[in-house]
Amino acid sequence: MVVRTPQQFKEMQDIDVKTEHRVTKIDPKEKRIEVHNLSKSETQWFSYDKLIVATGARSRCLNLPGSNAKNIFTLKDLQDGIRIREYVDENKPKQVAILGGGFIALEMCEAFRLRDIETLVFCRRDLPAGNLEREISERILKELQKNGIYFLTHHEPIAFKMNSNGEAISFETNKAEYPVDMVLMAIGVIPNVEMAKEAGFELGRTGAIKTDFTQMTNLADIYAAGDCCEVFNLVSQDWVYTPLGDIANKQGRVAGENAAGGKATFSGVVGSAAFKVFELEVAFTGLGTQTARGYGFDVDSQIIEAESKVGYMPGSKRMLVKLIFDRKNGRLLGAQMVGKEGVARRINALAVALHQRMTIDEVARLDFAYAPPFSAPFDPILIAAEQAAKKIRK
Amino acid sequence: MTKREKLLIIGGSAGGPSAAARAKRVNPELEVTMFEQGRFVSYGS
Repeated sequence: MVVRTPQQFKEMQDIDVKTEHRVTKIDPKEKRIEVHNLSKSETQWFSYDKLIVATGARSRCLNLPGSNAKNIFTLKDLQDGIRIREYVDENKPKQVAILGGGFIALEMCEAFRLRDIETLVFCRRDLPAGNLEREISERILKELQKNGIYFLTHHEPIAFKMNSNGEAISFETNKAEYPVDMVLMAIGVIPNVEMAKEAGFELGRTGAIKTDFTQMTNLADIYAAGDCCEVFNLVSQDWVYTPLGDIANKQGRVAGENAAGGKATFSGVVGSAAFKVFELEVAFTGLGTQTARGYGFDVDSQIIEAESKVGYMPGSKRMLVKLIFDRKNGRLLGAQMVGKEGVARRINALAVALHQRMTIDEVARLDFAYAPPFSAPFDPILIAAEQAAKKIRK
Repeated sequence: MTKREKLLIIGGSAGGPSAAARAKRVNPELEVTMFEQGRFVSYGS
């Protein structure tokens, strides 16, 4: 998982990497930062000509009685993953409770089931991946149930009961008490902006660091990139918080280029992502129905079910395609798909359509590559777009 | 001799390493230091 080690950074590019060094203060007036060397317990100031803040995000935690038990985990970085795996290896838990129904929770369902751990998912909403369209989430729920996951909704968490070893042994909700050997809290992330805020960085409406299209902050010679800052959504034309690794890397490149005297811009995202739940591929791009409504679009949608390849080809699977569009002008606003095959890659065609502000009519007439092993003469996207276009053609 | 310009980067997961690598490519004379509080860098991709 590690793309480059500190030694490789040094040897390949003469970049100094100091791990186990926590930056504790930014002083934009004196252009310096305070750094705490964790292994030596020493504090030192370093001065800069240019500074890039890429402090990331951290897992959100529920503050309940017993939340500090040592078998309650969050999963954000490599270290968290190692900790979870070591705990499973050493303690062989039989039952795990996952709090949350987002994609970290869903991906971990599969990981725990592979280790034969009984998995209970506690979700505030009535469906998993609750910010996706209902039809997509319902399909995900079916897949969870097929794989023996217990999906429990509308539980108000109350407390974890601990034993004398400091381990949680049960999870109490307003409805019942569940024995647990291990807990994963997967209820989202919060941007690490405290230090920046204290230094006078401007934050956006989302609470993350505000930047311009060159990744520059409001402070001179300081840039920001990644999960600590906002990103511009090209569909809604709004600055949003979308903490994802691919975006972080792209923003980082732009920040790095500009800090080095170059001229680069990051124009924004359309909001594409994909994840896997057991055998299901889930992918989406653009805005969902609710979000699009919130932005004042005259929202309509079309959902279809189609085969991923020509039906007679081995390996062809059914998939759901939902398109969200503006009834007024037919503009595509978003798309979501779920199925066992050919989903995650297919979404990219619609991401391009969003970048180009295409209408569903234009999407319906796209010339996609066709051969039986890959698609049908009318690709699922084309079928969905054609049916959507029919709705507004008078 | 002129002093080399200093770029400091806070964070070594995804945005930080990408920034460091690009900055150094654009201006090899830049003195680049990246700080990470954890034990690993460059795992966010």
